[in-house]
Amino acid sequence: MKTSLLTIVGSIIIFLFSPGNLQAQLSGEAIMVKVYELPTGDNTQGELIMTLTNKQGEERVRKLTQYLLNEGDTEKKIMFFTAPADVKGTSFMNWSYSSGKDDDQWIYLPALKRTKRISSSGKGDYFMGSDFTYDDLGDRHPTSDTHQLVREEGLNGVDCYVVESTPKDPDYMYSRTLTWVDKSRFIGLKRAFYDEDGDLLKILTIKSIDEINGILTILETEMEQVQKNHRTNMKFSNVKVNQGISANKFTERSMTLGQ
Amino acid sequence: MKTKQNFKILSAISIVLFLAISAYFFKAMTENTRMETNLDEYMPKDHPDFKYSDQAEEWFQIKDGIIIAIEHQESIYNPESLRKIKELSKALQDMDAFDDNEVKSLYTSDNIVGSAEGMEVESFYKRVPKTDEELTLLRHKVRDNEMVQGRLVSESETIALIIAGINDGAFSEDLYNEILTLAESYQSDQERIYVAGRPIVEGTLGLLGPEDMKRMVPLVIAVILLVLYWMLRSIRATAATLLTVFLSTVWAFGLMAATGIPIYSVSTMIPVMLIAIGVAYGIYFFNHLKQFLMANPEADLLAGLSYTLRKLWKPLTMAAFTTIIGFISLLSSEVYPIKYFGIFTAFGIAVSYLLALLFLPAITILWGYRIKNRPNRKVASSPSSQNVQALTEGILRRKKLIYVLTGAIILFSIWGIQKVWINSSFLDKFEKDSDIVQTDAFINQHFGGTSTLNLVLESETNDAFKQPEVLELIDKLQSEAVAIPEVGSSFGLTDYLKRMNKVMNSEMEAYYTIPESVEMVAQYLLLYEMSGDPENLTKVVNYDYNRTNFTFQLKGDDSKTIHAALAIVESYRPAFEAHGVALNFAGSGYKALVFTDLILEGQLLSIAISLGLVFLLLSIMFRSIKAGLIGSLPIILTAIISFGVMGLLNIPLSTTTALLSSIAIGIGVDYAIHFLQNYRNYLDESSNASEALQRTMQTTGNAIWNNALVVIAGFLVLLFSVFPPNRMLGALVSMNMFTSFLGTLSLMMVVIHASRLFQKNKSK
Repeated sequence: MKTSLLTIVGSIIIFLFSPGNLQAQLSGEAIMVKVYELPTGDNTQGELIMTLTNKQGEERVRKLTQYLLNEGDTEKKIMFFTAPADVKGTSFMNWSYSSGKDDDQWIYLPALKRTKRISSSGKGDYFMGSDFTYDDLGDRHPTSDTHQLVREEGLNGVDCYVVESTPKDPDYMYSRTLTWVDKSRFIGLKRAFYDEDGDLLKILTIKSIDEINGILTILETEMEQVQKNHRTNMKFSNVKVNQGISANKFTERSMTLGQ
Repeated sequence: MKTKQNFKILSAISIVLFLAISAYFFKAMTENTRMETNLDEYMPKDHPDFKYSDQAEEWFQIKDGIIIAIEHQESIYNPESLRKIKELSKALQDMDAFDDNEVKSLYTSDNIVGSAEGMEVESFYKRVPKTDEELTLLRHKVRDNEMVQGRLVSESETIALIIAGINDGAFSEDLYNEILTLAESYQSDQERIYVAGRPIVEGTLGLLGPEDMKRMVPLVIAVILLVLYWMLRSIRATAATLLTVFLSTVWAFGLMAATGIPIYSVSTMIPVMLIAIGVAYGIYFFNHLKQFLMANPEADLLAGLSYTLRKLWKPLTMAAFTTIIGFISLLSSEVYPIKYFGIFTAFGIAVSYLLALLFLPAITILWGYRIKNRPNRKVASSPSSQNVQALTEGILRRKKLIYVLTGAIILFSIWGIQKVWINSSFLDKFEKDSDIVQTDAFINQHFGGTSTLNLVLESETNDAFKQPEVLELIDKLQSEAVAIPEVGSSFGLTDYLKRMNKVMNSEMEAYYTIPESVEMVAQYLLLYEMSGDPENLTKVVNYDYNRTNFTFQLKGDDSKTIHAALAIVESYRPAFEAHGVALNFAGSGYKALVFTDLILEGQLLSIAISLGLVFLLLSIMFRSIKAGLIGSLPIILTAIISFGVMGLLNIPLSTTTALLSSIAIGIGVDYAIHFLQNYRNYLDESSNASEALQRTMQTTGNAIWNNALVVIAGFLVLLFSVFPPNRMLGALVSMNMFTSFLGTLSLMMVVIHASRLFQKNKSK
């Protein structure tokens, strides 16, 4: 009983003195919820050029055709490699579940003429050798973190909220993130990731956004691994949103067709 | 009286001046002295081999590994040992010296496994397995994975390794102690923990050597002090002599500090040179002084000093100049520490020379000097004049014997020289039964090896290392290399591909081969990137697939072992070149090998240069080519015997042992010049060659004998050192001093006599 009383008193004190409690201002959490709830397409398709650049300045360029389908509790994604030539026809399919169960992943290797299941042991795995983890690519639910609005500032001429998010799970791969959220559109424009030791690890920058079929769509994004001086750039083109994609596209059989 | 007073004032002024400069250098020394322990700093940065290796180390994050081994009496597959592997891995990952993905152990490693439906890359364990089933499962997983079994877990399953690649320049004494303490804290009744790896060997060496020297140097100085006192019979003369040695060392190291040049391990040889040479100067000085005062008991000290300086300045100048030139010839070396060694030793000798001519007289004037021995009483330290006479005559009578003996010794030495081998090993510097050697042998016995050699293959064409025929060739090279006893294992791109080929084909052994097409290779690699940690691949191949890194684990870090591995690789060079693939080597073991070769090449070259210079200078100084030749004899003899003995006793050439031959020049020249100069003087006085030789033997011979005795006695103390390289140092310095002494007083004297050197046909 004593503890709870103490907690209540403590909360009141914090409430009274915390700078961000003005009614007019949105809380960090409210901002992140709005970002999360930003409408995305139920199905999307497009060409993707993924460029990895290492410390030596060497580049690894991959071209893919990508299809995405959101079935509510399951998000399905299928990608076909079109370049480089020696991996052309290789396809990759990922089903991720909102229930939190591990993703299901398949890969089709044309040289082996076989579809294989691969398993990733977690969302902290890097996507295709890039600087993005699967988690970075997906939408992290706002309830997984506690959020605090730390400041407001301009980013390349756009007024932004800067929200600090701290994961509730202490073992999460990042100790905290800072997100720059466009005040008018509620879309994240930049995010800084801090590692377990609290050092800056990566910076994600959204380089190009366009409204396609009424949906705000990211067309170019870049992740910079600051500590290793490594970069991944993803550029989308020919993007079609909500034009309808058949669920049949997301099968092991369709993987073997190469497109 | 007035002049005496003036001299005293002058002396006081010069001493104050010397002390002031010394104080300045001492201050510089205490403030700026920096030991250079990072071995990379020793290497010439612009040498192509080092440049390449440094570059490759950056490309593929090639790092030296600290190895922690856990040995359990029965099997490491028990919760306790597995917990320790996990905790030690995590503890190392937490240290700043190691990047997280540089710590490899059963706990951190990826396991590429196949299943009926596909491939998985997973951990061997995250939570420590507790039940028997879990433990057995883990054991089978490891057994099935050739990328881990025999590499991180021994075939006997009683030892597991944690290998942590250390960041460049991160090694320090604190880290070393931290790791040893950490490892020790995990010892138990059932488990033994070992620590090994090149950084540990280098670190122990870097700590043990200086530590041992700290213990031994006072002893060496004490013995030198005692023997010197026994000879000079004067506390003041002994103190003055040692003071000059001390001051010249302070000046040399002070200048080093003032110019911001760090102390390298070879720099520790500078005091050795300065002791050997400085003591000699003091002995010549006080010998002359004493002889004059004994011969002229009525004369005062100033007269004695002026006689001494008159007699001494010329040979001393010649000797110092020649020795300095000899050391400056080390500038021809490509290796900076050696260049610095040459410059600062030369500077120290110049200081010793100045001190002998200015400081010693000054301090003698201030302190006074008395000979305790009555002129008619025998000097205990020096052989009586009758004995010297008999000895000299005896030597001269047995010319033939001396020639034959010298010839035999030279032949024997030349035979020995052919056995001289170069060794860049660090491990070989330790006792065979020391912990560090035993640990190394233990790990080598159960695993691939503690030493590594990196082979970097490069092609102009992108995707060259996706071509099956190139990969097959590499695979063939790998299996041929591991077949020789010196190579334990090898690792690279091919191992990933073979593993994946097998896994994707239902774990069938028949598929443990290079995939058959470029596409298959490319797709496997893509697959690995998608499911494993792509960082692992960056350590073996670059983005363009035209540069790849293979690691060979070797059973030793000595030159013979590395050369054996290199030979196999080299035999494949033409085959690779046919595919447009170039071969290069990298890694610290390889760099050490190249470095040692470089030092020795430079050292041999500089010995040749300095021999030539010494011969030239002697010829000019004595205006006689004959004198030049004869004066070079002791040096040549000392150098030949020095290398010969190394070959015969199987002492490998290393940086230290090679530099020791510099003593041959420094000391040999000194002896020869003093002997020749005095001999010529006496010959001018009496024109009887035998008598002149007799007198030279009485004076110079005596001084040489004293000098050799003092230094030998001092350095023999090092034979009691616990650190083998320091023992070697003691033995070789003593031997070089002894051969210089013997060569001068026997062979050179005999040749002088036989060749009628300096005799202007007057004796006839």
